[in-house]
Amino acid sequence: MKVKPQACLKIEVDLVAVATGDAEGAVRGRVEDHIGFCAACRGDFQRYREIDGVVGALRRSPADGEGAVRARETLESRLADLRSRLMMYGVFPSPLGNILIARSEHGVSLVEYLGERTGFKSSRLSQVGGVEAQEDGVEVEALYRELLDYLHGKRTRLEWPLDLRLARSDFQRAVMKATVAIPYGAVASYAGIASDVGNRSAVRAVAQALRWNPLPIVVPCHRVIGSSGSLTGYAGDKLSLKMQLLGVEGVPTLTAHRDRRVARDAMYVRDRHEVEYCLPICGSLASRTLADLTLFASRERAESAGLAPCSACRPDLHPLSA
Amino acid sequence: MMGAQPFETIVTAHHAEIFRYLRRVTSRTSEAEDLSQETFLRAYRAYRTLTPEANVRAWLFAIATNLTRNHFRSEKRRRVAYAFAAVEQRDTDPDGPEAEALFTEARGLLETTVRGLPLKQRVAFTLRKMHDLDYETIGRSLDCSAESARAHVFQALRKIRVSLNGHQLPQMEPSR
Repeated sequence: MKVKPQACLKIEVDLVAVATGDAEGAVRGRVEDHIGFCAACRGDFQRYREIDGVVGALRRSPADGEGAVRARETLESRLADLRSRLMMYGVFPSPLGNILIARSEHGVSLVEYLGERTGFKSSRLSQVGGVEAQEDGVEVEALYRELLDYLHGKRTRLEWPLDLRLARSDFQRAVMKATVAIPYGAVASYAGIASDVGNRSAVRAVAQALRWNPLPIVVPCHRVIGSSGSLTGYAGDKLSLKMQLLGVEGVPTLTAHRDRRVARDAMYVRDRHEVEYCLPICGSLASRTLADLTLFASRERAESAGLAPCSACRPDLHPLSA
Repeated sequence: MMGAQPFETIVTAHHAEIFRYLRRVTSRTSEAEDLSQETFLRAYRAYRTLTPEANVRAWLFAIATNLTRNHFRSEKRRRVAYAFAAVEQRDTDPDGPEAEALFTEARGLLETTVRGLPLKQRVAFTLRKMHDLDYETIGRSLDCSAESARAHVFQALRKIRVSLNGHQLPQMEPSR
């Protein structure tokens, strides 16, 4: 077998690169010098040029158009399916313990208190059928920042698009929508929400619906209390979080013997049919249950909800002491 | 909130080329269909994390290459693909019957040789010579350096040359 001279072996890589249009100027010069005196390499060079021509023709030849169209069509339908299933989530520390936030293409779908836990497996999200959950801190990080601002009292609204698909029923969705309407710094009752969804007697069902609220804080179920003023319950057994959240919004609460309640006497009152807010002693308000009332932590909160001071009790002239 | 540009524009801009690439490295339309779908589904899951200055095309090629490598991880599968892949009949060069016959023959041999190359060489050759990716990008797709990527292409060309020994080749425009 004929052995190639050392010089030819050394230049082979560059020769192939130059012949196939894949080399810079200096290399080209070196190769041209070499093939100027080496006939064998000149032959190789020519051969690689020819191969490059065939490669170029192959590159320009049409692809399997039919297969590509078919693949694209199937892709579109698989993408649509994935879009509807995909939820991005992140787990973040907060003053209320670890919180998982998840969102879909349509909006925020889950805010979950994880307490000390951090794992996805302990989340409700891991148990929902038809959902592909994907950890993606970047995607939900902005939401988390806003939530922190809210928890630190630097923000009074979370204007997030919501995806209510993790709600368990249309009734629960209706309850959630009614709950969203309760203003910041105000509280209403389960009975009031039952009225809002058109079924005054469904008080327990409302309480159950809010117990499983997939979007606490954003859908402010912490602003819903018993008709007696008792805080009742929150997200299962997390009543202290409810107090904390109401505290952030300036709602005064009391703890007497194990009963936690709002300090009703220290709050402004609105009858659900009125457009004015009153002092708690106005007319018959003091003796009524909260079923048809909304309480406000401050005049500012009542007025930012679009209410005017009552012309009889004049809360603007006789404000409650802070 | 979601992604700088709508994902549809990414699909529209790159799907056909990624499909062509996968068709070339797998030699089978059905595998190219599956892998191209998988490539874009993966991309969809991750594209929100892309920085605005990211090279989307190179990124998609890297995903497609990665999937191809996993797909062919079993060497057996590759051999089966190789054995069954038929040389496609396509429209040929219009430069007269002789040139046409030469080209058809050369292309058949070239495709057969490329199909028989080790995967890294086949991928590097296809990315460089068919899709014009630079060696840095090819190296990233194959988890190797740009120099190694270049060496893979060189080895591929060398083998192609050997396989075409004794065959007359048509004179054609260079590839670039």
